[in-house]
Amino acid sequence: MGLPSWLLSPRLWDFLVDGVVSTLIILTIVWAERKIAARVQMRVGPFHVSPRLGGYLQLVADAIRFVMQEVIITADSYRVLFVALPPLFVALALTPSFLVPLSPHLALLSRPALHYGILMGIAILFYTFIMVVGIGWAVNNRFAYIGAAREALIITAYEIPVATAFADMFMIYKTIDPIEIVAKQMYIVGAIYNPAAFIVYIIGVAMATSRFPFEIADYEGDVATGPYSDFSSIFLALTYAGGIYIALFSYSLLGALVFLGGWAPITPGPWPADIWGNLAAAAFLLFKTFVLMLFFVFLRSVMPVARLDHALSFSWRWVLTLGVIATAIAATEYFVL
Amino acid sequence: MAGQKLGEAIKAVLDVIGLGLKYTIKPERLTIYYPYEAPDYMGRIRGWIGLWTERCTSCMICARICPTNAIKMYLEKNGRRYPGIDYGRCIMCHYCIDACPTYALYPTEIRDFAFYKHEDMIYTPDMMRKPPQVPKLVPEVVKVVHEYRNGKVVKLRVGKLEEPKPLPPAPSVPVVES
Amino acid sequence: MGLKMEQYGLVLKEVEAGPGGKKTLELLFGPQHPSSGHIRFFVEVDGDIIVDIRPDPGFVHRTMEKLGETRHFIMNVPLFERLSLPDAINVTWAYSMAVERMLGYDVSERAEYLRTLFGEMSRISVHLYDLALHAIMIGSSTGFMYGFGLRDLLVNLWAIATGARTTPTWVLPGGVRRAPPKVFYERLAGFLDFLERKMDEFYRLVVKNPVGYYRLKDVGHLSKEEAAAYLATGPGARGSGIDWDARRDMPYGVYKQVEWEVKVHDEGDSLARTLVRIEEVKESAKIIRQLLKIMPMDGPLIGHNAAHKIPPKDREFLNEQVRMSGYYVTTTNLAEGTGLTEGGRGRYFFQVFGSGTERLFRVRISTPSWQNLRAFMKATIGARLMDLPAIYGSFGFFPPEADR
Repeated sequence: MGLPSWLLSPRLWDFLVDGVVSTLIILTIVWAERKIAARVQMRVGPFHVSPRLGGYLQLVADAIRFVMQEVIITADSYRVLFVALPPLFVALALTPSFLVPLSPHLALLSRPALHYGILMGIAILFYTFIMVVGIGWAVNNRFAYIGAAREALIITAYEIPVATAFADMFMIYKTIDPIEIVAKQMYIVGAIYNPAAFIVYIIGVAMATSRFPFEIADYEGDVATGPYSDFSSIFLALTYAGGIYIALFSYSLLGALVFLGGWAPITPGPWPADIWGNLAAAAFLLFKTFVLMLFFVFLRSVMPVARLDHALSFSWRWVLTLGVIATAIAATEYFVL
Repeated sequence: MAGQKLGEAIKAVLDVIGLGLKYTIKPERLTIYYPYEAPDYMGRIRGWIGLWTERCTSCMICARICPTNAIKMYLEKNGRRYPGIDYGRCIMCHYCIDACPTYALYPTEIRDFAFYKHEDMIYTPDMMRKPPQVPKLVPEVVKVVHEYRNGKVVKLRVGKLEEPKPLPPAPSVPVVES
Repeated sequence: MGLKMEQYGLVLKEVEAGPGGKKTLELLFGPQHPSSGHIRFFVEVDGDIIVDIRPDPGFVHRTMEKLGETRHFIMNVPLFERLSLPDAINVTWAYSMAVERMLGYDVSERAEYLRTLFGEMSRISVHLYDLALHAIMIGSSTGFMYGFGLRDLLVNLWAIATGARTTPTWVLPGGVRRAPPKVFYERLAGFLDFLERKMDEFYRLVVKNPVGYYRLKDVGHLSKEEAAAYLATGPGARGSGIDWDARRDMPYGVYKQVEWEVKVHDEGDSLARTLVRIEEVKESAKIIRQLLKIMPMDGPLIGHNAAHKIPPKDREFLNEQVRMSGYYVTTTNLAEGTGLTEGGRGRYFFQVFGSGTERLFRVRISTPSWQNLRAFMKATIGARLMDLPAIYGSFGFFPPEADR
C-alpha cells in the first residue's frame, strides 16, 4: 500500500484502536446496563432519544449534559484535590489498557517494557481506587467521609485475592509476558486451566469497581453515593458515572488476556503485512472484554447490595480461601504441565 | 446464625442469575409508551369538569362541598352566579358533580392537561364548555389496556384517543355514567 | 477548640458521648436523603455501629386532625385518604366506619363485600409499595421496579373501578361510591395470577438471594416483649410473634365469611417482617379469589339509612353510583364513633365526635407508622450503619402517614 510509514506504525494504530473502541465499548456498556436492567425489570429503559437505535443516543445526550452542567465546588471541600483527583482517576483507570498488546504486533510498548505490561496494569489499577479515598477526603462531607473509609476497607479486602488470581495464572503460564500468555492459551483458555482463580478474579473485580452486589462505598441506601456525593457535572462523569466503567474496562481487558485467551484462536502475521489479521485479533480481544463487562453490569439487575462487614468477611474468608485453592491448583499445574 | 447453607446460597445465586438471563432474553414488559400510547380507563376515570350553564340554578352546593375550595361562583351578565373551577386546586374528586342537584356539571375523562401559567388554570363559567386543549406531542395516540391471559400480561390496543370535543347541548334527561 | 472546619474536616464534628464515652459521629439522615423519606434521623455512629438515633418527624405534618374539624364530614374523605395514598381504602374505611357508628348508619351487604375486596387490594398495594421501597433501600432496583410495576397494574384496576388511580375517594359513610364494571372482576382475577407469579420471583430475587438474605437476617431484632411494649403494629408486630390482626380479632367487613389466616413470624428481624408482607400479599390474593366467588353482583351500594337521605331521582341508580347531595344535607349527631381497620402497615384508628352541625367536633387519628417509629428506633440501636435502610424499610415507615 502507498501509505507513509508513520501511518502504519503499530503504536499509532494501537493507540487509535484502544482509544476509539474503548470509548465505544464504555458507551455501549452503560447503555447495555440500563437496557438489561430494564428488560429484567419489566420496562423499556432508554428509548425516546433515538427510538430506532433503542435509545443508544441517550448516553450521548447524558454525556453532553454532564459536560454542559455547571461545575459546583463546595465551600468546605479541599479545592485542589477536588478538581485534580477526578481526571487523575480517569487517567489511571485508562492507562492499563494502553500497556497491554491488542494483538501480537499491535502494542504501544515494545519488548522489554511490554513484557511487564500486565503487571504494570494491575499495579496501576490498584492505585486507581486509592484516588476514590482521596476524593472522599477532598469532598469533606460526612457521607463522603464514610464512603471513603469503606472504599479503603474494600481495597484492602480485594487487592490480595485479585493479585493472587493473576499470580496463579502467571505461575501456570510460567511467564508474565502478555503475548506468550495468549500463545499458551491457544487451545484451552485460562479460565479452564484454573476456574478457582477465574472466580476469584470475577469477585475481586466486582468489588474493585463497585459492581453489584459490592456497591458499598457509594451505596445509595445510607451514604448517598458516598465519596461522589458532592460531585456534579463533568466530575461526576469522570468518576461515578464514567470513570468506574473505564476502570472496569481495564480490569476486563486484563482479564480477557489472562483468563479468556485474549485473541487466542486468531494468529495474525507480522504487522504491516497482515493489517486485517491484527485488527481482527484486536477486535476479538475487545469483544471478549465486552462480554466480560456485560456480565459485570448484568449483576446490577439481579443483586441487592451486600453489607460492608459481610462483604469484608466474605472476601477475607471465602475469596481468600478460594485464592489459596487456586494457588494450589496453579502449583500443581506448574509441575505437571 | 441459622442462615442459608453454602450449597443453598450458591444455588440461590445461580437461580437469580438464571432468572435475570431469562428476562434479558425474553422480557415481560408492562410499559405504556406514553405520548404514543395512553392507558384506557373506559371513560370511568374522573377528569376535567364541564358545565352546562343553562341547567345551573346557582345553588352553590358545588362550591360548598368542594374539599379544596377550588370552585368559585362568578357573577355573570345575566345577574346569576355560575361555578368556575381553579384547576390548580382541584383534586378531581368529583364531589361537585355528584352533589349537583340539576346535573349541570358534567364529568369527562380528560386527565392530561397542563398549563403554562397559573392564570390559565382558573376556569371561569364561560370556559367550562370547551375542554382544555392539550398540545399534541405525536400525531396519534393509541389507547391501550392491560389484559391478563394465562398469568401473563398482554397489552391490547383498543382504538385511538380522540381530541377533546366541546360539550354537546345539555340533554334533558339525567346523565349517568357507566 | 478554635479551629475551622475547613482545616480539620470532619474530625472535629465528633462529639463526646457521655463521660469517658467514645467519640461518635453524628449523621443527618434525611429529609433529603435518597432512602429517608420525609423525616430526619439524627444518627450517632460509633465506627460502624449506631449508638443512638433520634427522629425529627413533622416535615409533612398537615394538621389533618384540625382540618377535619373545619369542614363538612363528607369532605374529610378525600382529605384523610391523603394520610396514606397507597392504603387509601383502608384509611377511608376506618373513617367511614367511625362516622357510621356516630350517625347510626347501616352498611349494605354489597358494600361490605366491595369494601373488603378493595381493602385487600389496598393491602396488596401498600405491601407492594413497602416491599419495593425496602428492596431499593437494600440496593435491589429490580425489586423496586417489580413492586411499583405490579402496583401500577393494580392502580389501573382501581382507576376503572373507582375513578382515580391513587386517590379513589371511594368509601363513603354507609357504603361505597361507585360499582366496579364487569371487566374489573375479570381483570382482577387475571391480575392475581400474575401477581402471585411475580411475587414468587420477587422472593427469589430479593429475599432468597443470599446477598439480600443476609442483609435482612438477624438485623433489627425486636423481641415479642419489646414489640408489645413499644406498641408496634402490623408487620412490625406480626414479625415479632404477636398474633394480632384487627381483621380477625376485631371483625369488620366480611372477613368472617372467607377462609384465611394471620401470618406470624417469631424471629423479629427484618427478614421476618419482610416475609410477613410477602405472605400477606398471598393471603390477600386468596381472600380476593374467594370473595369474587361469593360476592353479590347487584344491590344498593349504601345502606338504608344513608340511602334515605338521597333524593328520589338519584336513588334510582343507587346500584351503580351514589350521589353526594344526600350527604351534603346530613349533619352530625351529638355522639361519637370509632372506626378501626387493619391497613397494610398496621391498624388505623379513627375516633370522631359529632357536634350537631355539619362539622365534626373532633377527629382523632392513630396511624400505624407513628406507632412503629418507636419500635423502629429500638430495633435500630446497635445495628450497623448499612443496616439502617434494611431496618427502616422493613417497618414500612411512611412519614406522611406518621406526621398526619
